[in-house]
Amino acid sequence: MPKHLRQRLLHRLQLPESWIIFFIMGIIMMNFPFLHIFNKPVTIFGFPLMFLYFIIGWPVSILVIYLFTLAVRHSDDRQQGNNQP
Amino acid sequence: MNAGIVPAALISLLYTLLIFMIAWRAHQRKETGRSIIANPYAYSLSIAVYCTSWTFYGSVGKAATTGIDFLMIYLGPSLMAFSWFFVLRRIVKISKENNITSIADFISLRYGKSLGLGALVTLIAILGIMPYIALQIKAASTSFYLIGGFREKGIHLGGVTLSAGLLLSLILSVFSVVFGARRLMSSERHEGLMAAVAFESLVKLASLIGVGLFVTYQLFDGFSDIFTRFRHTYPEQFTRLFTLGGAGNDPEYIPPFSMLFMSMGAIMLLPRQFHVMVIENSDERHITKAMWLFPVYMFLISLFVMPIALGGLLTTGSATGADFFVISIPLVTGHDGIAMLAFLGGLSAAAGMVMVESVAISTMLLNHIFMPVIVRFTPQAWFPYLLINLKRLGIFLVIFMGYFYYRIVGDSFMLVNMGMISFSAASQFLPAMLGGLYWQRGNRTGAVTGTLLGFLIWFYTLLLPSFSNSRWVGDLLASGPFGIALLKPTALFGLSGMDLWSHSLFWSMLFNMGGYIICSIMFRQDEAEHDQLRKFTGMIDLTRGYRHAETKRLSKPVTITQFINLMSKFIGPEEARQAIFSYIGEREIDAEGNVSEFELPNLKRFTEKTLAGSVGAAAAGAIVDSFLSDMGSRMESVYDIFSNVRTSLDQSREALFVRLKASEIINRTLDLQIIMDDLLNLLLKEFKLDAAIIQLRSENGGLEVRSYQGVNRRPINPNHWFMESRPYFDMALLDRKAHFVNDTRLIADTVALDRTIAEGIISCAHIPIVREGESSIGLMSVFSKSIAGLFTEEFLGLLSSLAGQLAQAVTIVREMEAGERERIQKEQAQLQHARVLRDMEIAQQIQLSLLPESAPELFGVEMGGRCVSAAHVGGDYYDFFQYDDHSVDLVIADVSGHSVGAALIMSEVRTLLRAQANSALTASSILRNLNNQLYEDLTRSELFITMFYAKYNSATGRLSYANAGHNNPLIKRGGVPSCINLDAEGLIIGVKKSVVFEERGIELHKGDVVLFYTDGLNEAANAQGELFGTERICEHLGSVMHQPVAEILDSFYHAIADFTGSDTLQDDISLMVLKIH
Repeated sequence: MPKHLRQRLLHRLQLPESWIIFFIMGIIMMNFPFLHIFNKPVTIFGFPLMFLYFIIGWPVSILVIYLFTLAVRHSDDRQQGNNQP
Repeated sequence: MNAGIVPAALISLLYTLLIFMIAWRAHQRKETGRSIIANPYAYSLSIAVYCTSWTFYGSVGKAATTGIDFLMIYLGPSLMAFSWFFVLRRIVKISKENNITSIADFISLRYGKSLGLGALVTLIAILGIMPYIALQIKAASTSFYLIGGFREKGIHLGGVTLSAGLLLSLILSVFSVVFGARRLMSSERHEGLMAAVAFESLVKLASLIGVGLFVTYQLFDGFSDIFTRFRHTYPEQFTRLFTLGGAGNDPEYIPPFSMLFMSMGAIMLLPRQFHVMVIENSDERHITKAMWLFPVYMFLISLFVMPIALGGLLTTGSATGADFFVISIPLVTGHDGIAMLAFLGGLSAAAGMVMVESVAISTMLLNHIFMPVIVRFTPQAWFPYLLINLKRLGIFLVIFMGYFYYRIVGDSFMLVNMGMISFSAASQFLPAMLGGLYWQRGNRTGAVTGTLLGFLIWFYTLLLPSFSNSRWVGDLLASGPFGIALLKPTALFGLSGMDLWSHSLFWSMLFNMGGYIICSIMFRQDEAEHDQLRKFTGMIDLTRGYRHAETKRLSKPVTITQFINLMSKFIGPEEARQAIFSYIGEREIDAEGNVSEFELPNLKRFTEKTLAGSVGAAAAGAIVDSFLSDMGSRMESVYDIFSNVRTSLDQSREALFVRLKASEIINRTLDLQIIMDDLLNLLLKEFKLDAAIIQLRSENGGLEVRSYQGVNRRPINPNHWFMESRPYFDMALLDRKAHFVNDTRLIADTVALDRTIAEGIISCAHIPIVREGESSIGLMSVFSKSIAGLFTEEFLGLLSSLAGQLAQAVTIVREMEAGERERIQKEQAQLQHARVLRDMEIAQQIQLSLLPESAPELFGVEMGGRCVSAAHVGGDYYDFFQYDDHSVDLVIADVSGHSVGAALIMSEVRTLLRAQANSALTASSILRNLNNQLYEDLTRSELFITMFYAKYNSATGRLSYANAGHNNPLIKRGGVPSCINLDAEGLIIGVKKSVVFEERGIELHKGDVVLFYTDGLNEAANAQGELFGTERICEHLGSVMHQPVAEILDSFYHAIADFTGSDTLQDDISLMVLKIH
């Protein structure tokens, strides 16, 4: 039930706690010691590991924010729906 | 090798014109209400003013020297975007509600409109931003020299050497003035400026991506090609650039965490970021979209930085001049078009930043540095011109300070590291800002202390060392002040081995936060701060539209006109009038064009808010306060009659308690006096009033004091001090609204309240006792000796509601009393009636007993008489007087009327007749005597009598008679069809003093029946108005003449009942029958 799952996800994302968790996760992931995992002069398919980490991790974080804004709009819509039964 | 000076200048000029046109168009569109930038995309692009020439040139330089850690500057804001949904939206909401003009305004408003804090923040912003603007000028002018192919710094025009930096500064200043300081209203959005900024953001993005694509795919063969080639050529450098901390031994290396932290702060706290994100926000909903659009922009703009840096290193072979790889790579490889594109992008990035920054900071400068000085002077009509020009001057000042910093510090720093000095300065706002939003205890002392400490340390450890090429500073850096090594700016308190920026950030943040927290805990918030607290930290109230209950009042009322005059001195008369009209809207205004006393604090706040839009909250507060004190008025705390505990929004627990008590008092008894006394005593006790009086309208409409409680009691007379409030009574009674005086001393000029003031009364209120929709029935007056401004809207509401309850009670009691009175009256009337009825019955019985019980018996004659009266007592009378065996007198009379008087006269007649009846007098002389005797009495009682007197002698058979105006008796003789009319001349008794009555006589024969009757018989009328008449009497008499006398009598009453069709008689009917055997 993807639709059901999506609703559930969006619902969870409306919680302020989710925002804070992701925010803190972001700070952790951009600091040591977490950065140590990628802090190696290794290349994968010619790309340096650290470069790859940022270039992939960053869009993912933006996607998360995008999902959050979807969730907000979702709840706004629902509220409006409630207001006009 | 170079594109030449002329095309570069020309393209710059054309580009500037284009920007100018875009800005102008956007401004025009806004004026006509069709904004082109009021959308989330333009908003996101304008936030991208964050990416300056630092990003454009500096990132590449940074990437080429220290590596991938440059990304932290962009990851920080991207991460921060997570918090925007809560933090930024909240800041925007608060700012819009309070007409916030800048970050200094915001912070100073939170801490009680502190002038000092605003000035401090402004000072930090000006000094802090100096390196940042210098960076832009440096980048733009260097790029100009590069593209123009100059090696020396200066453009020679006909012997005059003109610095490109100076020229750029001038152009940018003019541009900023034109679009950023057109109007004084700083809280207003600058659409032209924003459109220019948004467009420039597009240009710099397109330009950098263009250069990136060129380097990555034209010069090289994609990302991995660059990486692979670079790895092969410089394996050591590759390791250093793609690992963090690899360049740790470099003195210019800044740890990733410091950069992340500072950039996260900078995205919110840099004056220009605050300006574009908060002040220029047109719709809160745009924030949600910008939350991911802006990070996407950041991602895109940093995507090609690393390839360009590596490509530059590969192409040029060294990291010198890495800051300008974006331009130099295309130039070196001979692609002048690409170089020009890069130049434009860099110019855009620099120009956008400088314009927004200078506008934002000049606003702060005006509102927080100039304004506090200006408000000390009396406002003048030319103030608006002064203010706008000061703002323009501020723009020049900010830009040229940056320019001079650039000239002094020049090339000793890389672009990014120059920018970090500014970031570090902006971080000093963080504790006060975040604490202000989320920490209730954060106070002004803490904010000032923390910010000041942080600023001083920043200045000492970062800004000062940046002038390291000055000898004095060089000495200081080398050995510390006065040779104290512990105080060396770069190794404060012996903390060495750290880079400049982290070192400064650590110490400044430590002292800043420490100072803020410790002072906030140690000291109390003052009242002005407390007022602001709810706006900033009580977000729930804010979003639910909590109506702030005013707890302040103006000690002396100020008129609307005075407020307009004040405002027009700062924002111009037209704007002032418009603002006031929009405010007044549907609000109630009294006859003199004033708002109610309760509305005044709101009007004051509105004035402050409007002024704040131009001069900032702190200055606006100071302006209005000094204006009020000039007027002799001030804000004073309202005496909170309901103490502090509020159980709901508009009902305090105390008010509910008083209501409850009052309704108990009112329902306990029906005695109005007790109700009124108890109610007043309750008010006196609960509200610390000193006197309370209830007056009710008396029956003649005047007011009457019914209850008087409290001090200064003395008999009410026209000279009583209380009577001075008479005009208020009349007004309150008339318009059925409460009237009050919150300070008797202030109105002494208009209303004579000398004796009241002498009694010590300071405030009083008169509340009409009235039921909804009815006219007032009285007045409740309360007086206080101690508290001015006692009567708040809330308190008057409570008093009015109590007066309403009292009115209800008074009405009920009065209605009950009236009902009671009516009932008693009715009962008495019934009683009276019954008594009269009984008297009448007695009278009737007496009267009937006066009539002969039976007729005398005489040989050869049969007699009978009967009287049936219509009313209880009547005036009919008949009688028989027998002298001897053969003589009898018959008399029938009718006293006019049916009153008791008639009955009395009748009894008098009877007495008089009995006295003379047995005499030998004739009928006529008896009547004459009677007339003589009764005349006086009858005249006096306005009565008269008709009477027929007959004497019959059975021996002779003769009937002699006289008549005093009575109906003639009828004689029915057998065989004769008609009746004989016994006619005799005579006047009614009681009309004339002496009357002569005719005496007549007639022989009666055997079988004759004589009928004597009163007028009730012949005048009985049927439904058609037809009278019974003598004809019918005679006829009927003829038909019954052979029957016994008693039956004859009965038959007449039956005949009358048949004729009239009714059992009740219209008039008394008396009949006498004499039948001769």
